[in-house]
Amino acid sequence: MPSKILSGLTAALLAASVFVAASATAAAEPLRVGATYITSGTDPAKGSNGWALTSHGVGENLFTVDKEGKLVSELAEKAERTGDLTWTITLKADRRFSDGTPVTAKTLAAGFDNTFANNKAALATGGKLNFEAAGDLTLKVTTEKPVPLIQSLFAEWPLIAYKPVGDGNAVFTGPYRIAGFKTDASIKLEPNAYFAASEKRSPVEFRKFGDAQTMTLALESGELDLAFGLPSEVVTRLKANPELTTKSFPVGYQYLAFFNTTRPLLGDVKVRQALDLAFDRKELSAAISGGEPATGAFASYFPFAGRQARPTDLAKAAALLDAAGWTKGASGILEKDGRPLRLLAITYPQRPDLVTMLPVVKAELARIGIAVDTQVVENISQVAAAGDFDITLWAQHTAPSGDPAFFLNSMLRSGASLNYAKYASPDFDAILNRFAAEGDPAKRVAIALDAQARLFADAPASFLVSPVWYVGVSKRLKNYEPWGSDYHVLRADIGEAK
Amino acid sequence: MHPVRLGIQSITGMLAISLASFTVINSMPADPVAIAIRVWNLPATDETVAALRAEWGLDQPLLFRYCDWLTRFLTGDWGRSFRTGEPVLGEFLERLPISLSLGMAGLALAIVFAIPLGFFAAAHPKGVADRFSRTLSVFVQAVPGFWLGLVLLWVLGVQLRWIRLLAQDWTAAVLPILLIALHSVAVLARVYRRDLMETATQPYFRTALAKGLSERQALWRHGRCGALYALLAAVRSEAGWVIGSTATMEILFGLPGISQFLVQSIAARDQMVLQAYVMVIVLWMLVMNGGAYLAMRFLDPRLA
Repeated sequence: MPSKILSGLTAALLAASVFVAASATAAAEPLRVGATYITSGTDPAKGSNGWALTSHGVGENLFTVDKEGKLVSELAEKAERTGDLTWTITLKADRRFSDGTPVTAKTLAAGFDNTFANNKAALATGGKLNFEAAGDLTLKVTTEKPVPLIQSLFAEWPLIAYKPVGDGNAVFTGPYRIAGFKTDASIKLEPNAYFAASEKRSPVEFRKFGDAQTMTLALESGELDLAFGLPSEVVTRLKANPELTTKSFPVGYQYLAFFNTTRPLLGDVKVRQALDLAFDRKELSAAISGGEPATGAFASYFPFAGRQARPTDLAKAAALLDAAGWTKGASGILEKDGRPLRLLAITYPQRPDLVTMLPVVKAELARIGIAVDTQVVENISQVAAAGDFDITLWAQHTAPSGDPAFFLNSMLRSGASLNYAKYASPDFDAILNRFAAEGDPAKRVAIALDAQARLFADAPASFLVSPVWYVGVSKRLKNYEPWGSDYHVLRADIGEAK
Repeated sequence: MHPVRLGIQSITGMLAISLASFTVINSMPADPVAIAIRVWNLPATDETVAALRAEWGLDQPLLFRYCDWLTRFLTGDWGRSFRTGEPVLGEFLERLPISLSLGMAGLALAIVFAIPLGFFAAAHPKGVADRFSRTLSVFVQAVPGFWLGLVLLWVLGVQLRWIRLLAQDWTAAVLPILLIALHSVAVLARVYRRDLMETATQPYFRTALAKGLSERQALWRHGRCGALYALLAAVRSEAGWVIGSTATMEILFGLPGISQFLVQSIAARDQMVLQAYVMVIVLWMLVMNGGAYLAMRFLDPRLA
């Protein structure tokens, strides 16, 4: 009998230890997240790393846009205007970097100085900013150009807050800290112990996929807890899987086409206007199974968005091309002086919807006699910057800081760093200049509408679709709520079911 | 050919290719400095442009740059990537083992499977092995590796759960290696079979049969060395295809090898990386050629 009791106790002990071990393993099990992009490095001042690091939950800004699209404070408590070009920002007390050091005005100023010295995109709204620490939690900011709403400027992606620690390295304040990084492959994240409720967060393994279909298969095989940016064609299949939940959400992104205005064929505004009229936005929306025809530069839920979908008018497009001297050749393609109207349209695989749209764009332009060669390029930023395209299909969040000025200034102002269309219009720039002096939200809406009207007339870009995006989650992340496009994929409130 | 002569020819060839590729890469349209300024959002001032050109040596004459690059390359300084700012050698050492492992393992596996498949295809024309190798040959030519990879991931990873799609260990390489090998198996098996079939038409083969050997025995005893010789010659040309096909597998399976890095470097006109890649490929081809040559010399001492 004692031996039976002993055996029973041993068995119970073993079972309990296995259970405890399994629980401990489960607790330490990282969340597995997949996407078709990853930060290209950990230097927050390089390229678009500032955006990616915030998206990965590593970095924060002084101000940010919440899930309702409102501008709210993040590391800052408040911002007060003290002059035409001067502002005083008060930081929140008791915030710390992930190395445990306190967030002070001096350390943040050093980080911002580094960003402004190395990242031209930071200059887009206020020009060069100067920073001076007037106390541990008081930061004085002087802008080069008048800025009506400094909170919005500090919500822009280049202005991620960090403490530089030399040689391109930095320490951040977000809910996660970087535990490992493999270029082009993966990033390992651990909860930042100095961020509130860190004990409630699991580590994360964020994996980049070269192909969205492979990412979908990884989700289906149970190897991902979150697949961000699923191709729309797999959604029906995934909805039939009881182990997974598929969620869609409207995004502030716009799918648009930049026209390279420096290329000979597209230097003529009539040709660009014809292209704009030839796009059938309903057809494009249907092709990606998610989205609405674009009304302009901004998603329709913004107050500064256009009210009506951009028109399609093939007869008018044909008339414009005729007026530009293009006549139909023997092959059915328009010709001028014996030269065919043949364009190169490119896009990139990291946004699978754009790849889906590319052949539709080709077919739509063929209807008005324009031949299109298509290319999918891996690294669109470099190709677009080099100008090796006629049309590039692009996905862009056009109001990431809840304000219309940033996108228009950084991507369409003459000489702007990301002006891939190489659009140069003094009239358009003059409209944008009005943003700098106007703080009244209603009047800023009017300026944004004026700017869009100018863009519709000059057609350096064509606004195509306001998309919805899809994410797939496992049961472990069934409470995950996607919002904020891909600006906040990993957040403090990730919704993990413990 | 004597190995010493082969070595001299290889070195001369490498130098010629390095000069030609350096000239071509440096003549590519689009200025890497302009691209870097755009991509990194650097202030587009004359000072920035001059500083980058000086840092990357682009302000020097082409021949001077080539000699400088060659000297550094041979001493292990492969320059810095324009795109990532990191030492190129370090970037390669991080990624190259993945690509080379995939390529070499795929090729080795292909040889291992091609020999028995080719042999049985030759021993039993129109038999199961022959039909299989022919079908496989048509199949791999007709079906893109990327699509086949996706189907296999779905079947093996999602439906059967036999493989893990996100494995971080050696198992992550199994399916890519199999897919790389599949193409080469088909090609090499047909080469091996064809040479054995030629052996079967030779007078000495009929003599061997007259002595009482079975067809299979005669083929193995009198045909295998010649067929292996032909197979090794085919391996030399297949080596180029194999290293190229790793790019597809790296993208499909998310493996951070050199090919993904190369694709991004081409877009950035990252001259240092492109030049280093050309040299690595030349080295790969020389090693494969040299290895195959030595093996062929072993099989046929008349080459000595």
